[in-house]
Amino acid sequence: MPRIRLGDRVDDGVNWLVGHMSWFFDAVRTVVEGLYDGIYAVLTAPEPLLLAGVLAVAAWWLRGLVAGVLAFAGFALVDSMALWDKAVSTLALVLVATLVALVVSVPLGIWAARSKAVSAVVRPVLDLLQTMPSTVLLIPAILFFGMGVPAGVVATLIFALAPGVRMTELGIRQVDAELVEAAEAFGTPPRDTLLRVQLPLALPTIMAGVNQVIMLGLSMVVIAGMVGTGGLGGAVNEAIGQLDIGLGFEAGLGIVVLAVYLDRMTGALGAQISPLGRRAAAKARTAGTAKLRNHRPSPAVALAGVVVLALLAGGLGVFGPSAQTGRATGTDVGRGKKITIGHIPWDEGIATTFLWKELLEERGFDVTTTQYAAGPLYTGLATGQIDFQTDSWLPVTHAEYWKKYGGQLDDLGKWYGPTSLELAVPSYVKGVDSLADLKGRSPEFKGRIVGIEPSAGMMGLLKDKVLKEYGLGGGYEVVDGSTPAMLAELERAYAKKEPIVVTLWSTHWAYSDYDLTKLKDPKGAWGKGDGVHTLARKGFAGDNPEVGAWLKDFSMTEKQLTGLEAGIQRAGKGGEQDAVRAWLRANPGLAGKWAPVAPVTGSGGKSGANGVSNN
Amino acid sequence: MSSSRLETEHLYKVFGRRPGDAVTRLEQGADRDELRDDGSTAAVIDASFTVAPGEIFVVMGLSGSGKSTLLRMLNGLLEPTAGHVRFDGDDLTALGDRELRALRAHRISMVFQHFALFPHRSVRENAAYGLSVQGVPRAERERRADEALALCGLAGWENAWPDELSGGMRQRVGLARALATDADLLLMDESFSALDPLIRRDMQDQLLELQKTLKKTIVFITHDLNEAMRLGDRIAVMRDGRIVQTGTAEDILVRPADDYVASFTQDVDRSRVLTAAAVMDPETHGDEADCDCPTATPDTPFTELCALSARLSHPVAVLTEDGELAGVVRRQRLVGLLGDRQGAAEPCDSPRVPDRAALTGGKLTARA
Repeated sequence: MPRIRLGDRVDDGVNWLVGHMSWFFDAVRTVVEGLYDGIYAVLTAPEPLLLAGVLAVAAWWLRGLVAGVLAFAGFALVDSMALWDKAVSTLALVLVATLVALVVSVPLGIWAARSKAVSAVVRPVLDLLQTMPSTVLLIPAILFFGMGVPAGVVATLIFALAPGVRMTELGIRQVDAELVEAAEAFGTPPRDTLLRVQLPLALPTIMAGVNQVIMLGLSMVVIAGMVGTGGLGGAVNEAIGQLDIGLGFEAGLGIVVLAVYLDRMTGALGAQISPLGRRAAAKARTAGTAKLRNHRPSPAVALAGVVVLALLAGGLGVFGPSAQTGRATGTDVGRGKKITIGHIPWDEGIATTFLWKELLEERGFDVTTTQYAAGPLYTGLATGQIDFQTDSWLPVTHAEYWKKYGGQLDDLGKWYGPTSLELAVPSYVKGVDSLADLKGRSPEFKGRIVGIEPSAGMMGLLKDKVLKEYGLGGGYEVVDGSTPAMLAELERAYAKKEPIVVTLWSTHWAYSDYDLTKLKDPKGAWGKGDGVHTLARKGFAGDNPEVGAWLKDFSMTEKQLTGLEAGIQRAGKGGEQDAVRAWLRANPGLAGKWAPVAPVTGSGGKSGANGVSNN
Repeated sequence: MSSSRLETEHLYKVFGRRPGDAVTRLEQGADRDELRDDGSTAAVIDASFTVAPGEIFVVMGLSGSGKSTLLRMLNGLLEPTAGHVRFDGDDLTALGDRELRALRAHRISMVFQHFALFPHRSVRENAAYGLSVQGVPRAERERRADEALALCGLAGWENAWPDELSGGMRQRVGLARALATDADLLLMDESFSALDPLIRRDMQDQLLELQKTLKKTIVFITHDLNEAMRLGDRIAVMRDGRIVQTGTAEDILVRPADDYVASFTQDVDRSRVLTAAAVMDPETHGDEADCDCPTATPDTPFTELCALSARLSHPVAVLTEDGELAGVVRRQRLVGLLGDRQGAAEPCDSPRVPDRAALTGGKLTARA
């Protein structure tokens, strides 16, 4: 078979779109961001519990007292897990995605219901959008819309569009043909037939579609978290990236609370707003006896309750948390300038990212850090969405990314190295000191070498070169996975004292936590080793000369790095920056050395270090 | 033709590819099956008829005979492939969509087989639907809807919902909806077929009762000949897309155009339809009315004729109001009409003495 270069065409197409249609994507982006910001601002204005109250009253009105109480309890739980802001951000994201999805899908569904040709075209396109793995769509979404909410909304939207269109089409087609004919027989114009007969009768089905759109949107939230949408999806991604099961569970639970609430509410809303649903409800009410648990406030009472709570909420919001706390110090170089740092969930990356977050915040910058997978991270840097990242292994490990994006990036230099890549076994596995010793012992290790992300450069090196060099190809299979999964596997095997071979690199905290043997590489198959570089978007150093200079001069010793990594590992998820502060206190002078405040004021370089001790 | 309310002229409806060609071929004498092989379906072929104002015109045929398609061309729901529909001087085939809609909203209304009530509207809102399409203000349209409902015997049910009503009541709402717009022409598509027999009778009676005062022009579709006979001033029988006979109930019964129509009329209860005028033999010999035996008038129903004939030894004389002899009704003819076939008496190959036959114990009955 000839190789059809379909992928190249897609690449060309995407490049063309990025080059020629940017005005369109910018417009979409502005609209989506505006919507999101608006909804987010409204939802975060009130105190969490007040908003929970508003949502609970809505649940009471739509489904009854029990639902109201449960809704309040659920949202109170989210708040108590300190996930409120993230949950609201996710809620806003899903609402925007749903809104846009409906604006697109309902008219499209109506059109498809009225024209067989449209239906025949729309169906396969929807199938394609819905079944194409969503991660495949994420990177183009970043190229078009940049990192963050718009890309997340668009990815969610594409995924969630299909049920909206399908259910609208189905609902309209299901309306009894005799009823449509009756409308026409009395001279109803087509538009009125649609609005007064077809849509009202199709409404229950359409609402089921809306429900599906929301549910699919929520299930996309986690994947969309990979493009930096933040929220609960981002929290889940970060947590699983760092093997923090507890936090992952909490964030997951938050998503569940949102999902159940939205699911039940849209279901009940369908019954409330559709004439047939109201009719059925009225019938049920006259049939059954009125009980307290079934009591619903009348719409007027419910609305009044919501308005009162909302006013109360809005009023408190004005005096509440909106007061910004600024850190005014004498070393304010940044003057609130925003800097975005991205990182992959590798330990030295996390350590230096939070180190720089702390250093830059001390110097008056407004720093955001977000965790990404390597692909989106480089894409984000290349498109200027991310200012810099500190964890680029060059020239070997990240060679593929450098090849693709190098021209759009500035290399701010190596701050650590040389690193080394290696396979490692626990030291209780006797007689294995070098890669050559693995040969013939594969049954002992069940024939597996536990690897990390298949996209990582060292995995390619291992499979293509190292195994061949030592003749291990036949006996061992390299298991693709992720760094956290590899570490979890190592911990499990270590606890049971089972033999295991893992891919590791130096320096890594695992060497200080576990007693491991680095396997020697006498043939030099792994190469000379990388330097860890800091990469910035094109022009960052020019825009921020001080920061650019600091990053260029930055370097760490192995002792410093392992010490910092171990501190962060001990502090656990969420405590990174505290660990950095503690470590900086224990190592005075380093902050001043890495990020000297320019002596414009004449107070001398020392003041930078003093600034740190304010904490 | 200005006197007629509704008139169709060589009306064709062909579904499928190249309907125009199909019409040409039909005009040249091709039949329905030939067309079907080419992938087109001729639903209505060369239908021409005229419906007078205030008349109930029934189109009767089995399912698939094209009667519903024909009905839908009368109000423009379907566009004829060829031919013309004229209503009160307007040629429907020449009207645009907007004018057709206006026509349907104001002058033609329709009653459906399965009622087609809007389940999301109350009975009153359903009855007022046509008026709301016309843009009549709410107060007036509710008043007129209530009037129409009262006319159909549904006073007091205005605020009920369609799903609370029985089948017969639902169709009354359907009828009220059609009457409320004050349209002159009422199209009824198998409107009583979905009702059970007793209710159907009630509805037929009510329609006839209403028609006495309303004098609408009605085109009524049915597959039930008894219903056609009860309701129709004139009846058109359709078969395979063609109208095979148009005439009064008597015409259809007594003078069927072909075997198909005759086979249809087999199961009809003739005694309800036929009168002396239809069954009498107008060729008289002048000697029938000279006795004092009871006589009949042209309007005497079939059942009474049978009773008379049983008592008389000779044919029943039919006299007009002036006492003139209009014709005679022979017993043979009466018996023939009760069966399914008429025609000349077939000669018997071995004639017997009637008395002996009766004595030998029921042989004659067996042979009959």
